Amino acid sequence: MALTIISLIKQVPLPSEMRMGEDGLMDRTKAKSIINIDCQFGMEAGLQLKKQYPDARLIVCSMGPGSFETSLRTAISMGYDEAFLLSDRKLAGSDTYATGLAISTMLKHLGFTKDSKEPFIILAGRQTSDGDTAHVPSQVAENIGIPQATFVESVKPDGSGNVIAKRIIEGGYQMLKLPFPCVISLTPTGIPPRKPSLSGAIKARTLKITTFGIDDIGLGTEKIGINGSPTIVAKVVNIISERPPITMSVGHNEAALVDSLISNFKKGGNVLEKKEKADKKEIERPDFPEKDFREGARGILTWAEVTNGKISRPSLELLTPARNLALQLGIDTKVMTVVIGKNVQPLAQTLIEHGSDEVILVENDKLEEYLVLPFSSIFAQVIKARNPEIALFAATTSGRELAPRIGMKTDSGVTADCTGLEIGEYVDKKEKVIYKPILESRRPTYGESKLATILGFVCPQISTARAGTFEVPKLIEGRKGIISVFSPVLNDKDFVVEILKTERGEGGLQNLFSADIIISGGRGTLADNLGLIKTLAEALKSQGVNAEWASSRPVVDEGIVEYARQVGQTGKTIRPKIYIAVGVSGAIQHIAGMKESEKIIAIDHNPKAHIFHYADFGIVGEYADIIPELIERVKAGYKFGIEAKKNL
Amino acid sequence: MSYIDTVSTDVLIIGGGPSGLAASIHLADILKQRGQSKKILLIEKGRSIGSHILSGAIIKPSVFKELLPEVDLSEIPFNAKVTKDSTILLSEKSSIALPFHLPYMSNSGNYTASLGQICRYLAQKAEEKGVEIYTGFAVDEILYKDGKVIGAKTKDTGLDHHGNQLENFQAGTSIEAKLTIFAEGTRGSLTKMLIKKFNLNKDRNEQVFSLGCKELWSVPEGNIEAGRIYHTMGYPLDNDEFGGGFIYGLNDNKVAVGLVVGLDYQDPSFDVHDAFQIWKTSSFVSKILKGGKLVEYGAKTLPEGGHYAIPKLFVDNALIVGDSAGLVAMPALKGIHLAIRSGMLAAQTTADALLNNDTSEKSLQQYEKLINNSAIYKEMYAVRNFRQGLAKGLIIGGLHFGTQLITGGAGFFGRLRSQADYKTTLKVSELKKRPFKERFKGKLEFDKVLTFDKSTDVYHSGVYHDEQQVVHLQINDKENFAAVNIEQYGAPEQFCCSSEVYELHVNKAGQKELRIHAENCMHCKTCDIKSPGKGITWVVPNGGNGPDFLNM
Repeated sequence: MALTIISLIKQVPLPSEMRMGEDGLMDRTKAKSIINIDCQFGMEAGLQLKKQYPDARLIVCSMGPGSFETSLRTAISMGYDEAFLLSDRKLAGSDTYATGLAISTMLKHLGFTKDSKEPFIILAGRQTSDGDTAHVPSQVAENIGIPQATFVESVKPDGSGNVIAKRIIEGGYQMLKLPFPCVISLTPTGIPPRKPSLSGAIKARTLKITTFGIDDIGLGTEKIGINGSPTIVAKVVNIISERPPITMSVGHNEAALVDSLISNFKKGGNVLEKKEKADKKEIERPDFPEKDFREGARGILTWAEVTNGKISRPSLELLTPARNLALQLGIDTKVMTVVIGKNVQPLAQTLIEHGSDEVILVENDKLEEYLVLPFSSIFAQVIKARNPEIALFAATTSGRELAPRIGMKTDSGVTADCTGLEIGEYVDKKEKVIYKPILESRRPTYGESKLATILGFVCPQISTARAGTFEVPKLIEGRKGIISVFSPVLNDKDFVVEILKTERGEGGLQNLFSADIIISGGRGTLADNLGLIKTLAEALKSQGVNAEWASSRPVVDEGIVEYARQVGQTGKTIRPKIYIAVGVSGAIQHIAGMKESEKIIAIDHNPKAHIFHYADFGIVGEYADIIPELIERVKAGYKFGIEAKKNL
Repeated sequence: MSYIDTVSTDVLIIGGGPSGLAASIHLADILKQRGQSKKILLIEKGRSIGSHILSGAIIKPSVFKELLPEVDLSEIPFNAKVTKDSTILLSEKSSIALPFHLPYMSNSGNYTASLGQICRYLAQKAEEKGVEIYTGFAVDEILYKDGKVIGAKTKDTGLDHHGNQLENFQAGTSIEAKLTIFAEGTRGSLTKMLIKKFNLNKDRNEQVFSLGCKELWSVPEGNIEAGRIYHTMGYPLDNDEFGGGFIYGLNDNKVAVGLVVGLDYQDPSFDVHDAFQIWKTSSFVSKILKGGKLVEYGAKTLPEGGHYAIPKLFVDNALIVGDSAGLVAMPALKGIHLAIRSGMLAAQTTADALLNNDTSEKSLQQYEKLINNSAIYKEMYAVRNFRQGLAKGLIIGGLHFGTQLITGGAGFFGRLRSQADYKTTLKVSELKKRPFKERFKGKLEFDKVLTFDKSTDVYHSGVYHDEQQVVHLQINDKENFAAVNIEQYGAPEQFCCSSEVYELHVNKAGQKELRIHAENCMHCKTCDIKSPGKGITWVVPNGGNGPDFLNM
């Protein structure tokens, strides 16, 4: 009964290595390819498991062009035993649904099914840097029909045939016990990938990589590739920066640098020169017949996630786009919100007052805490019963694994982490029809540099919405709606994953959303475990300023700071008056969470740090020198021009 | 996890530069001719072949005909053929072209090139011939058995800053080899250990070095023609500073510019990178770069002690080749053809040793004989006192070089001794001349158009280092470093470093501390060479770390 450890990897271009060509454009041809960072953490998790299961067979799988062999060989040089590549031109243009389908078909072909006699575990990265959807692990798990845990920081065997996974949830983490076989997706945390060994590289040089085409694994073309995928990318436009060039502080010591910052700040920094945009010509709409592909599906379904007995903020935010879409679709379009849990009925009225027309209650003692298996099954049943045209989830760690698992059940694609949701139409020139109405899901992509519009042609059209992007809708007291109860069939098999512990700190730290000044410590401030960052925040607070401190992902990954304080794509999206980034390199995922701040001050010792491209004011220096100086100024009354509030 | 991986090979070559690659190619060729099959393993610490390769470069092509007799020269990715070659006596505002070539400086028939490109080509040839090349692996330990070299070990990875094993610890691989060829390039960190262990520089001069900083530019059409090359003397160097600049016109409106300065200078605040920037502002150079853009930056040191500084190049089961052996011909600073030739001679020696199944020191002595009978010897012996002569200052040195020409290299004194570069640095209080910053006051504000600060230049080198590892620049005497190197010498590391690794931080209270930003390191090893009192030791960081030169 030897364990098989399967690592799923994807090869991606390394964005930080892309060099500027001489024409000032990114020279993608010179961009090196790497194994997606999250996948590398998945690979390492596999190698760590091997320590407890010395007999385990380590295999690595990927799907992509032949050039992906390079990454598979790297995996071998790190310690994997065998490599498999699914490579077929017919797979080109596959969306996440099709990718999940193809990979799981290959795994099943290799003998890894839910009824396998031999135990196995599939380890994947949380998400890829060139797609950022986090869908595939969920879709693979659903396709094979096995349990999953995504957004997992660490995974350890419990010694009796299970693994214990530490999963990130909103505001904290959860310890889950999963049996084999299962799928685990790893966040880039904890144990970074090891370096290849020379002996491994020598082995990798000659090792035969098994390459499959779709015929080899018995996969048809109906549901894969550009034509079989349920979603398409309809449009990609550049995101234009709204921030003027940075003003850097000058000075030969910390006192002078801080003086310079204060003086620059007072002057207000640079102003963005607005360039007049040429009016784009209206593209003529062809005279094709309109096609309503919804086949009777009507209404918008949303999920109200319950944490600590309350509706989570991102789920309330979701009602803003939901109402807006309902308005665009027509007056009779209903917004239906599903609440699953134990004694959740008291929450229903809040949802109605925030904009739900109907609250669908699913109550059961076993459902007190979110679990992807029963929740996805319940949703599939609700969708079958209500036939909504759109289903929306907040892009929390739960929403982002739940939505793709549901999408697999309904054969719908899912669009991840959207920042814009509108109703539009799609002109299909080939079929000569206009699909109308259709959900246009907009999401930033390619390192937040482009905005892609994704369309799905199967109902329900499923999207997850990035937390912090939409405002919580205004509460209308006494708003009327329907409260109904839904009784799903619950399957015991859906409760094989056990929650050992749920830890949520500081109530999800809602005050990060309302603070005027947020001081954020990055990897560069680990030396004192963010001591100075906290002191600066405290100093501002004692001056009566509504200040709070936060951190970037690496600090949370190190376990120094709770997840609730993480700013960024996988953390909170905030927009304070002043954001002070200290020792934050400026990874694009972090930028996504703070770029809407009114003024951004960046402090880092590395003048090359990416953060300086996004800041209004900058200081190059050691934080251990600069921050104490700033603290002194604050203690002497400096408040960055923010008015003190009483009763803080 | 004390388990150690071991692999074995017939021949291990450490370093994928011209000498190591030439050794591998020639060895594979000879073995094939003899119908022998042997495993040749070549390990390179750079991310890929060429990542750590930097040179001017002007290359004498003839040696390639010998290395690759089956290949047409046109197949080798040289850049433009040298069309015209001038030596310029430079001052800030003017330039005088010397009406003649300095002896040994003629470049007719030579080619400009990116040595990195050449190495990539050679690596491809080597692999075709069956050589196994592994890049991105650092070798940090020589393996011995009974006092004899039996191979080397790759660096353990997955260590924290203090050297403690982390969970992702990966033990290095021991490579057992019948014969190991050290081809690490300039100031090889293992070669340094080998020389010390076997006292290979006994009765030899101390090796001395120059540091060259180079930038690759893209310039508007017409600024310089491809193949047009200049060497400059003079500005901004004083007579007691040995060195000069180079400007090589390349194809596609590229130009390679650089300044090479002997590390025997006395001023502890002298900064080769900054001198290079100032050199670019001279009217002669700035005209060529006008309207252009910086493409790449890099730096490397060159051993230039010449004939008398070459250590003994063989011990039981090991040979030293190329820059690691100090094989650079002065005054033209040409080492590539010598590196290739030494690699070939090492290959010949190795092939014979393998055939006779005798890799003992006695058997490998053949290598020295081959070198002494080769063009290397002739070239280096003729100019054996050149650099030592120049150590006395350009004018006297020039005279001395003149007499060497007449006396066939002996000069007036037979053999001049040289002293190690770290010994020539003066304390701040001992320096008689104006320190660097005063000499060039007003010229050290870099405009980021023509001139660049070190950080900006470093950005153009593709440099990267893993965060989780022991800092690879080690202060040897932590107790006295501040009192001596910082207080007495003014922390010369911050100036001699080509790439902003060392920062002298002075806090408000006036306390001084030398901060090490190892992530910027260009692997030029200047600090290891120049830091007073051998203050710094450069050890090899994780494999794949360091610069990532594309066309240097």
